[in-house]
Amino acid sequence: MPKVKPRVKSVKDLTELCKRLRSSAKNFKSKLTICGGTGCHASRSQDVIDAVKKELKKRKLEKSVRVRVTGCHGFCEQGPLMILEPGNIFYCGLKPGDAGEIIAETILKGEVIERLLYTDPVTSNKVQTEAEIPFYRAQDRQLLAQNRHVDPCSIEDYIAIGGYSALAKTLTEFSPEKVIKEVKISGLRGRGGGGFPTARKWAECRSAPGEEKYVICNADEGDPGAYMDRSILEGNPHLVIEGMMIGAWAIGARQGYIYVRNEYPLAVKHARIAIQQAREYGLLGDDILGGGFSFDMEICRGGGAFVCGESTALMASLEGKVGEPRPKDVHTVTDGLWHKPTTLNNVETWANVPLIISNGAAWFAGKGTKGSKGTKIFALTGRVKNTGLVEVAMGTPLRTIVFDIGGGAINGRAVKAVQTGGPSGGCLPLDRLDLPVDFDALYDAGSMVGSGGIVVMDEKTCMVDVAKYFLAFLQDESCGKCAPCRLGIDRMLEIVTDITEGRGRPEQIDLLKELADTVASASLCGLGKTSPNPVLSTLRYFPEEYEAHVNEKRCPAGVCRELIEYEIDAEKCNGCGACRRACPHGAIKGKKKEAHVIDSHKCQKCGICLSECKFDSIIVT
Amino acid sequence: MGKYVTLKIDGAGIRAPKGSSVLDVAIEYGICIPHLCHVSNLSDIGACRLCIVENIVNGRSKITTSCTLGVQEGMVILSNTERIKKLRRNIAELLVAQAPNSRAIQDVAVRCGVKEVRYPFRNSDCVLCGRCVRVCEEMWQARAIGFVGRGKDRHVDFPFGVRPDFCKKCGSCIDLCPMTITPCDGPMKPGKEYLCGKCESQLSMASGAMEDTCVWCELGKGFRCARYGHQ
Amino acid sequence: MSVLTLESILKGRRSQPHQLIEVLHDVQERYRYIPEEDMRIVSRELGVPLIEVYRAANFYKAFSLKPRGRNVITICTGTACHVRGSNLLSNQVLGQLGLSPGDTTEDGQFTLEQVNCLGACALGPVVVLNGTYYKHMTPSKLRSLINSVNEKGIEDTDDAKGKTQGKKRQRSY
Repeated sequence: MPKVKPRVKSVKDLTELCKRLRSSAKNFKSKLTICGGTGCHASRSQDVIDAVKKELKKRKLEKSVRVRVTGCHGFCEQGPLMILEPGNIFYCGLKPGDAGEIIAETILKGEVIERLLYTDPVTSNKVQTEAEIPFYRAQDRQLLAQNRHVDPCSIEDYIAIGGYSALAKTLTEFSPEKVIKEVKISGLRGRGGGGFPTARKWAECRSAPGEEKYVICNADEGDPGAYMDRSILEGNPHLVIEGMMIGAWAIGARQGYIYVRNEYPLAVKHARIAIQQAREYGLLGDDILGGGFSFDMEICRGGGAFVCGESTALMASLEGKVGEPRPKDVHTVTDGLWHKPTTLNNVETWANVPLIISNGAAWFAGKGTKGSKGTKIFALTGRVKNTGLVEVAMGTPLRTIVFDIGGGAINGRAVKAVQTGGPSGGCLPLDRLDLPVDFDALYDAGSMVGSGGIVVMDEKTCMVDVAKYFLAFLQDESCGKCAPCRLGIDRMLEIVTDITEGRGRPEQIDLLKELADTVASASLCGLGKTSPNPVLSTLRYFPEEYEAHVNEKRCPAGVCRELIEYEIDAEKCNGCGACRRACPHGAIKGKKKEAHVIDSHKCQKCGICLSECKFDSIIVT
Repeated sequence: MGKYVTLKIDGAGIRAPKGSSVLDVAIEYGICIPHLCHVSNLSDIGACRLCIVENIVNGRSKITTSCTLGVQEGMVILSNTERIKKLRRNIAELLVAQAPNSRAIQDVAVRCGVKEVRYPFRNSDCVLCGRCVRVCEEMWQARAIGFVGRGKDRHVDFPFGVRPDFCKKCGSCIDLCPMTITPCDGPMKPGKEYLCGKCESQLSMASGAMEDTCVWCELGKGFRCARYGHQ
Repeated sequence: MSVLTLESILKGRRSQPHQLIEVLHDVQERYRYIPEEDMRIVSRELGVPLIEVYRAANFYKAFSLKPRGRNVITICTGTACHVRGSNLLSNQVLGQLGLSPGDTTEDGQFTLEQVNCLGACALGPVVVLNGTYYKHMTPSKLRSLINSVNEKGIEDTDDAKGKTQGKKRQRSY
């Protein structure tokens, strides 16, 4: 590896550096890629990484085996993960103790360790390479594929895979107008949830009067259940930086900001390192690559507010103020950050830009549907077998994502609903899963592509409880400025809570619908306007659940506390006492080896005993 | 270009100075669009959402607050369609259910056509219109009060809950507060949550001819409007 | 909390109102909360009206106006974790320590917080304790974890020594 950090002053410097890095990589006989994303980190991947490095040092193999710690690969359920080359061998579920065997057997002898391979849940066969794993096979990983090859803390890794060559191409071959035209042909639409045509936003900003303009990356990713942006920013920050620079060139901005939510400390850290390194290499600053383009950027942290994902609230927060949205009668592309023309785009939107420039707009437009082009990353979570990040072409049916890639529901249950689009989106039932992931198709069905969260729900999920959950979330996150949102969400929550607690009345359902329409039409910002979607979509597709709660005071899924009873089946209970010990309210009594009893007066129906019982003796009615 | 634009509000052709808001222009011309948080000479924030109108652009209707909407040449505005009336009525219903013990808020509800309140009454003493905060900042530059907290917790307060020494004690905040305009004694005691009908402009009365000045005008000290005022 | 101790945080940021949130982050990390006195100093040094500093400290969840406990239990209540039973974990803490979200125990040992998604959704339900992430949590695992903290006394180190909760958080990565 080159010891001196050369300042890259021209496109020629960049191309030569790339060549140099690629050839020096050939000096390594083997390569170990270990995922260090937040997901695997929670599975203690750091211990595995340390053990591997220690083992290599012990055997004096550091010069011939390259260890690369990367960002998120997306298959979080199977972490800690490792990919070995040559051979593209995929090991999962690793422990620190495996390090010795991996190096002794696979690295030195080329032998595959069967027990560390992934087991296909359908065929029960062992799968050797990443490409053969069903989870990956059905995906089209354009953006996520890069994560595997890049240590986010190394700009050289990024340059070695051709990083910043799209920027070089832009500065030498494309005028700003041509860049915008290229993005327009590609059909790229915003990936943050709005789906607004990116080229149109850039064109409007470019033509707005003023010398001082800004580009912002919205990395606030507040949708619960979504972590696509986290993995891109954590795993490949330079891709985002390069995209922002191409955009800045197109609209005429010289300063950029990446606004990262506070709950992503690793993304903040990696983005800061990336910017620092880009500056050292002359890829941020004055006269970048000798193209006469000057640009720099800063990272700003969020303060823990979902509403700051809304563009005007985000800009207020960047200005050091409280994150309250303002009316958008004048668009932010004309009057944005500090009242200057500003282009704000989502992380994934920016990340697509270098690929569009490198591979061409036609390549991007060749994937997807008429109205939704390219690929999109989804976070598939919930009660599904394979959870993780999934990148597919737009237009792929939800069914493919949930069943072919996700493997269907866990514990052999049936999939009841799929929630897309976060708190702004809706729940779709099983019989609508042939719908493609397409901006317009999902919108018409009462949901949304949103930022990309897909949460799978099974028969143990109460849909009224889901509506209550999202309303409570939005009530907590609403800024409170405008009356329809502040009071409307509060009253919708009041009604839905009444329903879940057995006080529901039939006329409340009509009131709920009317109130939902008012909040959707009259609120100031997107949070308020889309807040009724979870309620409306569950009312539309699961009316029978609402009816059961209101008319029969019954919760079919066995979730709503006031409508259920916990009992112990005396015939199945063997008196092990696990539930009695676990109960935090002292509601279970019984002697050892004798059937236990739940005192319904003390029972809070918290569900802890149910999760403890290994003999299936606790029933919920 | 000239300093005026022409636009249509409810079919009437109007000439308005550039830079003014649709609401200001409407009030000036006697087209009374209900409002609460708007005060002449203070900035408009679009918080109460009562002044919403339909802005017809390319054949499509966009609902937006007229106080924050700047006039533009050729604009077509509809301020009193059935849809707008229904939305306004629902917003007013939410407001009065939240803060019924204020004559001004009850008037707002009546004027917007609220006939019944379908939510349990609460007894808040603030509707978060922000008039007090804005007058303190914009007219007096004191900045002694502000909106503190988020969502349900949002309330007006001093820094650290204590009146600072830079409060000018001007009393403007109290003057402008809709909750203090002839405050109602109110029957909102626990167990007795209903509108009593003792105030003149109560829900029980027909919202036809009213003796007093229209509440919008009283609140905004504007002129006596044609729609809600007098036959 | 004198001006001298804030000096390093304010350095290079004076008279720059837009730095308010970054400054408040640094104060929060250093002291585990934002003291009133510090808010007044920040207002003066950055040129931000006092009411705006107070508003920002109240608006953003990252900041607290009361000192947090030595051990912060953060339960993720995002959709994926909710659907996998994160409310059981909240119930566990309520039962075991008597804490609702935002509360701190009398002895200052524990604070409970809820976060609307940490971005580790595939491994839900997720709990973060003092910066370390725990995946696939169940009430009994959480009970053991809390007990082990009480026994071992994983203490947050003395403020006087200069080590902070924030630094501990970063070290885990």
